[in-house]
Amino acid sequence: MKTNLNPETDHHASRDAIDAILASEEDLIPSSGFLAAMMERVREEAATPKPIPFPWLRALPGIVLIAAAFGWLGFELVHAVEANPQEFSVMRWHVTVAAATRPDLGPIVWVALALGVAMISWLLSRRIAGGSGLL
Amino acid sequence: MRTAAGMRATMSAGEDLADVERVLAGDVQAFEGIVRRWQGPMVNMAWRYCRDRSRAEEMAQEAFVRAWRGLAGWRRESSFSTWLFALAANVFRSELHRFPAVNVPLEDVAEPAEPAMQHEGLARQQGEDSVRRAVLALPYRYREPVVLFYFHEMDVAAVASTMGLPDGTVKARLARGRDLLRKRFPHLKGKSTPLPGPAPGSKKEVLQ
Repeated sequence: MKTNLNPETDHHASRDAIDAILASEEDLIPSSGFLAAMMERVREEAATPKPIPFPWLRALPGIVLIAAAFGWLGFELVHAVEANPQEFSVMRWHVTVAAATRPDLGPIVWVALALGVAMISWLLSRRIAGGSGLL
Repeated sequence: MRTAAGMRATMSAGEDLADVERVLAGDVQAFEGIVRRWQGPMVNMAWRYCRDRSRAEEMAQEAFVRAWRGLAGWRRESSFSTWLFALAANVFRSELHRFPAVNVPLEDVAEPAEPAMQHEGLARQQGEDSVRRAVLALPYRYREPVVLFYFHEMDVAAVASTMGLPDGTVKARLARGRDLLRKRFPHLKGKSTPLPGPAPGSKKEVLQ
């Protein structure tokens, strides 16, 4: 037995009955099948293909594209708010978004935006999954 | 004085290194040597964390699997055993966070019965079991240092490297944990008992 505690300076270091009890505990012997079960698990692990890492490199153009799209949208919104602040309020957020687009083309813009987002997600997922890739 | 566990660790260091190199070169079977050498300490360490034999084996198995997966991450700065114990402590800690071991508050741990009331040997055995169970009832931040302190044969530096904490922090938590135990079992306080070595024919050879 060894201890790094100094009995001269630390009264906790004195070896008392609690130390004796806790230090004298008998050790368990692993069950006879432990080694075999363990190696079986390791072989299974070894046979399992490694998880496919996320293809950051392939995803990067898509991520940049999305970030740029959101950036552009934010920029346009800020511009629209600055140009016409009385039209924008927290309570009228739907008006806010609509005002960022041209009012007369409102529905068409929304449909086009939805289609665009759907297209981008479809292309991005194909690219990440390693499909034929239109990008 | 060097502990038996320490001597074992030194003696097996070369074998561990050789086995690790073989495993990293693609020889799955070489991991068996590592498991064979360390299964005893790992199961015992897990047992001290949860006091449930079957769960201890499951936790030790999980630790070995994590070691298998992370073998390339052992940077040889510390000994293989230090790395393995630190990894195992992390595994056991997170396992016990997910599914805590059933334990009771420290004040509810039964007092050891009076020896006169029962057969002396049985009473002593029950008293010792109460003290060991009380360790699991300690608050977690004090429990782990106490568990590892006696597992590592009272080597504070080994506890510190297993937990990844400075020696001073370990000593402080250890002192607090042992204080709590002494308060719970005041009749054991100050009772100086020579620390026994492994009894002849005991199961202690697993760590040696």
